[in-house]
Amino acid sequence: MEPFRRVIGISLLLALIGLAAAVAYPLTVVDDLGREVVLDEEPRRIVSMIPSSTETVCALGACDLLVGVDQFSNHPQAVASLPRLGSAFSPNIEALVALEPDLVLADEYSGIAGMLEELGITVYAGTPQTLEETFESFETLGRLLDRETEAALLRGRLLGEIEEVQRRVSELPSPSVYFEVDATPYSVGPGSYVDELIALAGGENIIGEGFAQFPQVDPEYIVAQDPDVIVLADAPFGVTSGSLAARPGWSSIDAVRDGRVMELTSEQVDAVSRAGPRVAEAVRLLAAFFHPDVL
Amino acid sequence: MALMQETLAAATVNRAGVRWTPLALGSLLLAAVMLVAVAIGTVPLGPAELLRGVWHGLIGEVTSTADVIVWQIRLPRVLLAALVGGALALAGVAYQGIFRNPLADPYLLGVASGASLGAAVAITLGVSLTWVGRFGVPGLSFAFALLAVLVVLLMARRGNRIPVLSLILAGVVVGSTFTAATSFLMLLTPERTAGVLAWLLGSFSTAGWSAIVTIFPFLLLAALCTLLAGRTLNLLQLGDEQAAQLGVPVEAAKLLLIAVATLATAAAVSVSGIIGFVGLLAPHAVRLALGPDHRTLTPLAMLLGALVTVLADLLARTVIAPAEIPIGVVTALVGGPFFLWLLRKQRNLL
Repeated sequence: MEPFRRVIGISLLLALIGLAAAVAYPLTVVDDLGREVVLDEEPRRIVSMIPSSTETVCALGACDLLVGVDQFSNHPQAVASLPRLGSAFSPNIEALVALEPDLVLADEYSGIAGMLEELGITVYAGTPQTLEETFESFETLGRLLDRETEAALLRGRLLGEIEEVQRRVSELPSPSVYFEVDATPYSVGPGSYVDELIALAGGENIIGEGFAQFPQVDPEYIVAQDPDVIVLADAPFGVTSGSLAARPGWSSIDAVRDGRVMELTSEQVDAVSRAGPRVAEAVRLLAAFFHPDVL
Repeated sequence: MALMQETLAAATVNRAGVRWTPLALGSLLLAAVMLVAVAIGTVPLGPAELLRGVWHGLIGEVTSTADVIVWQIRLPRVLLAALVGGALALAGVAYQGIFRNPLADPYLLGVASGASLGAAVAITLGVSLTWVGRFGVPGLSFAFALLAVLVVLLMARRGNRIPVLSLILAGVVVGSTFTAATSFLMLLTPERTAGVLAWLLGSFSTAGWSAIVTIFPFLLLAALCTLLAGRTLNLLQLGDEQAAQLGVPVEAAKLLLIAVATLATAAAVSVSGIIGFVGLLAPHAVRLALGPDHRTLTPLAMLLGALVTVLADLLARTVIAPAEIPIGVVTALVGGPFFLWLLRKQRNLL
């Protein structure tokens, strides 16, 4: 758990620094595209085009600053009534501009940032992809929104909750885990956020060394690895433990035979796959499934 | 062109008909390649384990993981790859014969775009529409593939004739429409995009015995019809009018061949996704090597299509094992350059 210790160390250090001073505007932050984002004053009207950022803004107690979100932002409940502005790859730019946001949180891939920049709208582009980046994003958004204390508290609380799970599962034997993103079959590999969560929850991902972050896997390999438990992130789309058993050769897998297949609800899929403030909840959820007798 | 017609006329009156030697050699080669493909895979298995797996499968006592991998995963996968490859090649032969154009491929009349939309609907909306969920991806892609071609045929029909040019135009229009709908569905559900895309690029990774059993009747019907239509296809190459004078019921023959080729392609696509180039390359390569007589061309193209697809699938599951590459990517990467080379060669021939 070396990387996790490092995250804790860095975070606590940053927390201490952060608590020392309130944010002084004008503020300059460099985003994931390497752009300098300048905020002249504390943002009052925020648009979030990334579901995980929406959750983070709310977790920092700034939900009331949000004036619009992308169509996939469905958590927490407070954002349900906000205007929907399409998605990253098909944004409703007109509606977005009409909301006159003073800060837009966008992803770094879709080109939405460049488009808004030309319109003179302040954009911070970046999506956390790993555990470390998730905790960094709390801190970054905390600075942008002058919520540094809240960010430090959020970080501390989440790290504490994850530590608690760690303490209980670290001595236990790790079940081997196959996490299915899609029936193709697609899974999650080293370096991906979900892979980190699986490790934190005391599981051993069968998709290890030599795999990419989101590999399409030879089913032969999965059958040969014979995972103890299977997590279905494609369950909301009709994949069930029953349909696993119907796949050629899969009924011989321990997890399928023993009924240790977790069919995630779509809300659970969001909680596990979004690198945001539900990270501890996700670790708890997985840990409870990996170690049912203990948690 | 004149040369080709003479060869054809000669071939048609030539009583020898089928040339057995290349067929026998091709069958042997295919069998050998399939054996190799069953022997090689992500999970290393020795000859003893392979034989035991097949034996246990035959007597219905599949127990160990090795048995499961040999009998329930690898063997059906290789067989299915061969069947799909053969189906695509025979559809290629039929379409190229009907359109008298060596560049026609099985997807010309919208099978691929139809199947893609069906799969996309199943993958993205499968659960919200319960009646859709029941048919699953193969069922829906098969249905939509047939639907697309049916629309094309209806659009292209002029009275009781179906002119080739309007067929191709209708194919293009229907294809674009269906493709746009597929893209739109993918945009609506980004979390399913990987799934749809993986299907579009083709894969045999979910193949099992049930897929083989499901598509086999369609392929058998199509293979029989196309093989028996060898002489008819030869005569069609002389042009519609001449073929009619020689006693070929031109429109009916065309329609029948389009129907069975479409069935075969739709069945193949429904279990494996979109695999390009095989239906174009296999007939073309055989034509260049052995001439255009369909009595030999059809069976040999099927063998070659099967061979190429089994090899492509072998590459797809071994190059970056234990991960996979979609087979459509493999056939495009290998098939593209090969096709260009064929085109160059052909220029020297004609």
